Amino acid sequence: MRHHRTTRSAVLRVVALAAVGSLALTACGGGDDSPSADGSGGGDEKVSIRFSWWGSDTRHTLTQDVIKDFEALHPNITVVADYTDWDSYFDKLSTAVAGGDAPDVITQEERFLTDYASRGVLADLNELGLDTSKIDKSVLQSGTIDGKLYGVATGINAYVVVADPEAFKAAGVALPDDKTWSWDDYVSTADEISKKSDGKIIGAQDYGSNEAGFSIFARQQGQSLYKPDGSLGYDDATLAAWWQHSIDLQNSGGQPKAAASVELGNAGPEQSLIGTGKGAMAWYWTNQLTAITNAAGHPLQLLRVPGETGNERTGMYFKPAMFYSVSAKSKHPKESQLLVDYLINSEAAGKKILSDRGLPANTDVRTAVTPDFNDTDKQAAAFLAELGSDVVDGPAVPPNGAGEVADITQRINQEVLFEQLSPAEAAEQFTQEVTSATSK
Amino acid sequence: MTDTEIRPDPAAGIHASRQDSRGTQAPAAHHRRSLWPSRIRSGFKHLGLILLAVVMLYPLIWLLVSSFKPNDEIFRDLSLIPHNIDASNYSQGWNALTYPFSRYLLNSGIIVLGSLIGNLISCSMAAYAFARLEFKGRQLWFAIMLMSIMLPIHVIIVPQYVLFSKLEWINTFLPLIVPKLLATDAFFIFLMVQFFRGIPKELDEAARLDGCGHIRIYLRIMLPLSAPALATTAIFTFIWTWNDFFSQLIFLTKPAMYTAPVALRTFIDSTGESSWGPMFAMSIVTLVPVFLAFLFGQKYLVKGIATTGIK
Amino acid sequence: MSVVSELRRSASGRRGSPPGEPPADDAGVPPAPRGATKGRGDGKMAAIFLAPWFLGLALITVGPMLASAYLSFTDYDLLQAPHWIGFDNFTRMWEDPRLHKSLVVTFTYVVTAVPLQLAAALGLALLLDRGMRGLAFYRSVFYLPSLLGGSVAVAILWRQVFGVDGLVNAFLGFFGIQGEGWVSDPDTALGTLVLLHVWTFGAPMIIFLAGLRQIPEMYYEAASIDGAGKLRQFRAITVPLLTPIIFFNLVLQIIGAFQSFTQAFVVSGGSGGPADSTLFYTLYLYQKGFGALDMGYASAMAWLLLLIVAAMTAINFLASKYWVFYND
Repeated sequence: MRHHRTTRSAVLRVVALAAVGSLALTACGGGDDSPSADGSGGGDEKVSIRFSWWGSDTRHTLTQDVIKDFEALHPNITVVADYTDWDSYFDKLSTAVAGGDAPDVITQEERFLTDYASRGVLADLNELGLDTSKIDKSVLQSGTIDGKLYGVATGINAYVVVADPEAFKAAGVALPDDKTWSWDDYVSTADEISKKSDGKIIGAQDYGSNEAGFSIFARQQGQSLYKPDGSLGYDDATLAAWWQHSIDLQNSGGQPKAAASVELGNAGPEQSLIGTGKGAMAWYWTNQLTAITNAAGHPLQLLRVPGETGNERTGMYFKPAMFYSVSAKSKHPKESQLLVDYLINSEAAGKKILSDRGLPANTDVRTAVTPDFNDTDKQAAAFLAELGSDVVDGPAVPPNGAGEVADITQRINQEVLFEQLSPAEAAEQFTQEVTSATSK
Repeated sequence: MTDTEIRPDPAAGIHASRQDSRGTQAPAAHHRRSLWPSRIRSGFKHLGLILLAVVMLYPLIWLLVSSFKPNDEIFRDLSLIPHNIDASNYSQGWNALTYPFSRYLLNSGIIVLGSLIGNLISCSMAAYAFARLEFKGRQLWFAIMLMSIMLPIHVIIVPQYVLFSKLEWINTFLPLIVPKLLATDAFFIFLMVQFFRGIPKELDEAARLDGCGHIRIYLRIMLPLSAPALATTAIFTFIWTWNDFFSQLIFLTKPAMYTAPVALRTFIDSTGESSWGPMFAMSIVTLVPVFLAFLFGQKYLVKGIATTGIK
Repeated sequence: MSVVSELRRSASGRRGSPPGEPPADDAGVPPAPRGATKGRGDGKMAAIFLAPWFLGLALITVGPMLASAYLSFTDYDLLQAPHWIGFDNFTRMWEDPRLHKSLVVTFTYVVTAVPLQLAAALGLALLLDRGMRGLAFYRSVFYLPSLLGGSVAVAILWRQVFGVDGLVNAFLGFFGIQGEGWVSDPDTALGTLVLLHVWTFGAPMIIFLAGLRQIPEMYYEAASIDGAGKLRQFRAITVPLLTPIIFFNLVLQIIGAFQSFTQAFVVSGGSGGPADSTLFYTLYLYQKGFGALDMGYASAMAWLLLLIVAAMTAINFLASKYWVFYND
């Protein structure tokens, strides 16, 4: 009897200690582990920094190749790669940050940048002395919050309509003039393709699950998805109109049925309508052109989105493909800054990275590496160069909580496609959910 | 009378005639026996089982076939017959990442081995205590054990990360192996408790009369008689650890430490271009060790008390 | 022989009288009350056998569990230190329609997928336990799908079966039926996930097979000598002696199904879609914790889940007194 009494109380004591200990540790997670002063000298002392990014094997290979070059230039710095796929990237990153163990150089995405910056996770790159003189000003703006540069864009993209000329030809429909086409033209072109090809080729893939499309649509009306102060900048009627076009297309056959749209929305470029030769138009980011062209097996065409003329203003914009950021708690901020500098400003690095992270944001590098692009990248570069003169400005940096908006858009779009919500109801619900997600 | 349809099954090593003396047969079969010659009945049964097998295997066959197709053909041509067999996905996938794929298989193997040893020893010990020993608060501790698997990993992982980070275990296999050595997988404890309770108590009573203590009863009676339970534990530990993704993703950040499931994910970029072919090929490669482990382990699944002839 | 007679007595209590004469009740050592010969307890021994588990509990399990309990009372975004907000997370759960939706989805899944999978597993285990040609082959084939686990390949594979251009629609096409995308229709998506779960019946099947193997042959021999027929043997020996394993599978499958995550995550691309029709509770919890960086709320959700699952498990244990037969 006495024996197991002792055992138990001893065990309880250990349990209690462990529990309390763990709580204390948790509290440390976001605490103030100030960077140790000794490591930031940047002398010849051997240092090791961690660099995290997402992607697939091609990106992993070429990035590690670039890292090797960087290490050769800076023999005292070792860069530890920390890569994963897009779906797991932010789970891993947020857990590491919570554990006080953030990577030194962090690849970021537009929608999460504010979340991480406003909570003190990221360092001000200007303060670290990063050279940004050759970066496009509007692109630089996209990583600036309250006057501090929390992320420098790796490269730029634009959200466009990708068209398959062979599908148009097979359906016997002429490619539209993308400088003048309106949303009504978009709908009627898609319908015509489906009708003339007897449904063998579907006019367009559903566009309603990506809020970037709406951002452009709202800008064309002189509104915006987010205002610079982080609040919402559109009328529900505008959003309802955007979804109404999609429902019209679905009903008239210009767009697949709801279930098929959902399936396509979950699949990558390889399984898309154009990628499998079953559709004529779809919305993509320009850096996806290579993937989708490879899937389709023949050259595709980039079109400006409908409605760029005949409305209040143009809506298309350059989006930073991703950002490089440095952790505010990095023990080696100087070396981290050196790596970021190499990645964005070095021509040698540019020639290896090419358009993998969007069209290089550094204009000198862009000019230098364009001849090395493959055909689809050259096509995208030319398209963006031509678009440049018509892009008025970039949208505001998405607010805190914007990472959730992608999921909200996707879910409400599905309810619209399955006609569980009318476009007007959907707009109302979207506004309400996004307001609560972004007002934290 | 039924001897004609029974053949020993060499692969499984079962004494088939004994099997048939089991009462697992439904009465309907008893009736039909007089109407249908046994060979036809057995034929129908095999036909049914084979049909079921084909339905169940279709997705895997598709995976296997696709692993031999070029990347751009996989989704454009869904047929099960590839135009030309192309093994380049295998060589490409094997070498596509920082290290050859064997490195990731090896890492997975190390974690599996540690987990296997841990679960087999520590869970069976705990199970013996719960099944055969009388101690204060047994039910309470048992309830606590079950509760420990009722919280989703997603809320546990962050505190765990903090804990392991302070211990400087991140980027080692320790966070993935040590918990197994300390019987944190209540599933297997409960499993073995149920099996131990199925072993006739007379056996340990008799051993007790012969002067055996609990340790010897555990080692000499319970473990040998629980071969199926231990085999089940081993097979599941192998497969679940081999396939585990989330905790390996979080605790291992250096490519040199990545495991097979973590490496497999890095072929896919849902926003850009993915290497589906190489990913499928490496998925097949990753399946081979688990399948072999299963084939090996299932021999022990059938070596129960039933066939060891305890009287 | 006493075991058999014990067994049959207990079995006959529920299932009618056994055939023939009961065997002589000779050696007559009924399972002694626990520890009758050894005094009141084996506390010291238990401490030895449970030492690794206690250590694991104290060092690895309890800390993070209590930490998550603490976090459920805080506002915690992972990026900054948590701060105490009392019961706010719990009161928010009352007014969260998506949480209610996820509970409905999860309960629907539990009450359909678990019984279906267990029935398939038990049926096949009984069929495959008997000596027949190719036994090991079938067993392996039926287990193969379970080997895939939550691999990313599963999502693609499932689309090949239940997608718009999938196998099911190709099959229906033979009969002139034009099927929809089963995976992506809110009315059928959850059903395909139930089937996906049933498809992986290999794991419980293996446990059933191991359980069948554990039944001592002598019981059947004794019963045969007594002249008990196959059906009688099945009901008086196989079923009662398998009940602990059936019970185990039931309890663990329910606990597992409530926490079901990977398959819905992989098939719906993490969204729980279409239109939240496959929004499992844990999937929503994950979205809140990692997507919306609201780990405080996610922790509160986790503890609500623990209460629900613990209650279901307790009910299971209470009910087990009426149908689970132990040999000790």
